[in-house]
Amino acid sequence: MDLSLLIGQAVVNGLVVGLLYLLMAVGFTLVFGVMRIVNFAHAEFYMLGAFVTFLCVTRFELPFLPSVALTFVVAVIIGWVIEWAVLKPFRHDELNGMIATIGLAMILQNGALMLFGPDPQSMPSVATGVLRMGDLLVPNSRVYVVLCSAAVLLAMWLFLRTSRTGRALRAVVQDIEIAQIQGIKAKLIYPLGFGLGVGLAAVAGGLMAPLFSVSPFIGAGPMLKAFIVVILGGLGSIPGAALASLLLGITESVAGTFLSTSTADILIFALVIGMLVVRPSGLLGRPE
Amino acid sequence: MTDFHVHLLVLVCLNVVIVSGLALVSRTGQLSLGHGAFVGIAAYAAVLANMKAGWPFWLSALGGIACAALVAFVLGWVILRLRGVYFVLVTFAFAELVRLALLDWATLTGGANGIAGIPPVTLFGFAFDTKLRFLVLALAFAAASVFFLKRLATTPTGHACDAVAENPALAEASGLNVHSIQLQAFVIGCAIAGLGGVLLAHYVGFVSPESFNTALSINVIVMLVIGGRQSVWGPLIGAAILTPLPELLRGAVQTQHIFYGAALILILHFLPGGLASLAGRLFKGEEQRA
Repeated sequence: MDLSLLIGQAVVNGLVVGLLYLLMAVGFTLVFGVMRIVNFAHAEFYMLGAFVTFLCVTRFELPFLPSVALTFVVAVIIGWVIEWAVLKPFRHDELNGMIATIGLAMILQNGALMLFGPDPQSMPSVATGVLRMGDLLVPNSRVYVVLCSAAVLLAMWLFLRTSRTGRALRAVVQDIEIAQIQGIKAKLIYPLGFGLGVGLAAVAGGLMAPLFSVSPFIGAGPMLKAFIVVILGGLGSIPGAALASLLLGITESVAGTFLSTSTADILIFALVIGMLVVRPSGLLGRPE
Repeated sequence: MTDFHVHLLVLVCLNVVIVSGLALVSRTGQLSLGHGAFVGIAAYAAVLANMKAGWPFWLSALGGIACAALVAFVLGWVILRLRGVYFVLVTFAFAELVRLALLDWATLTGGANGIAGIPPVTLFGFAFDTKLRFLVLALAFAAASVFFLKRLATTPTGHACDAVAENPALAEASGLNVHSIQLQAFVIGCAIAGLGGVLLAHYVGFVSPESFNTALSINVIVMLVIGGRQSVWGPLIGAAILTPLPELLRGAVQTQHIFYGAALILILHFLPGGLASLAGRLFKGEEQRA
């Protein structure tokens, strides 16, 4: 295999994982933007999403796409209820809110462990065969997942850009007090923002379930990457998250091709620290 | 007192030391999610210096603690300029990175197998090689760290820490150097965590990257929050209550963690000062009655 092909393949793989990171990071940054809470339970919603999709497909024998849609709805509802029942007192309380989500994460992860057991389970692939683009090979199952992720992100973007509720959400992210003066009901926006954020994490979990295995511990990796994306892109900035997640996915994949995976991870961490020194507000974040 | 009770007491004491380190960081308004990493860095550095380079215990222990402090200084210098949230995220990512590095650097650290057969603590030719002997040492260090926090709380430096936690902008405007105070607290806090790590490694006789994973960092936070973040007794109360708990709930680790999570949320909601503030409230109530 020649070098350009190797790099091309790595870039394509990088785009696939980059989209996964993006789904995680957009939800994470949305929750932070609305509630000013760093949601440490984000990983557990990714895991729950994977399990709901897995159960829908294997137990109830639903087709894949309706399962993912159902997963999204279930996650939004659970997120809404959790925000209302648990997180309400901690809105805009960065430190305590974050510790509360750590508690939430412990409950969710160990609850899943009791329900589903610790063993990784695998889901049937959604598509077979490979797509050829010149000399590059991409398994069809990945193409399928990439297209779905892109569609979900596009839908979310259109929702935030054009719908009334989406504009209300963005107004709350920018300035809660002014938004309330304009008549936006924060009572509804908080649970909605949290629900949508964790819904995106759940969709990411559901979409990735056929590619990777499903177990109570799968959330940690993607969440760590979402953290890095959010730091690189600037907390609260969705375009920043988009740029950073694709960059991270590609860098990781290319570096992982030539170096060992953990060397690549160390390199990326050094990059993050360097970034914080040079541009603390992230690639596209607003300076404080 | 059976051997097992002594063992539990030793673990309580070591946790008091480690949680005290985090309490110091938290006093300046920052929460580190990578506290376990500094426990690990010091433990590995000290064990390697002791076993591979043949340094005497006191020197290797100091070396390990110095390593943790140095890493904390470099990391803290960069990220403590940023908002608190970035600090949390970076410490979390950093802890993961340290775990990966320990796993990957197998020629030095033994990789996933860790390092076994670590000799017991030996000071001035005296070996703390039984559980009871080690308990004396652990008690001394636990008492020293609580005493340190208690003394600090009454000094101007302690008040400066509280001011920084309460309102950084106001503290800065009153002439306090917020960055420097937070950095000092972070470095000293991590050094104390390192001390706990060195003692733990020599007591258990075994270290592996999994001994210092995120679960440790989170357990330390749980102990601190449930014990009480503002009180100097918080680390003591948190460690004393939560360390023996796994033994009571033996065989039901998941239940234990669900309990931890629920306790964390309930305490934050109803008793933000932790269990330590409960004692304060009771005493105050009695004074008022008298």
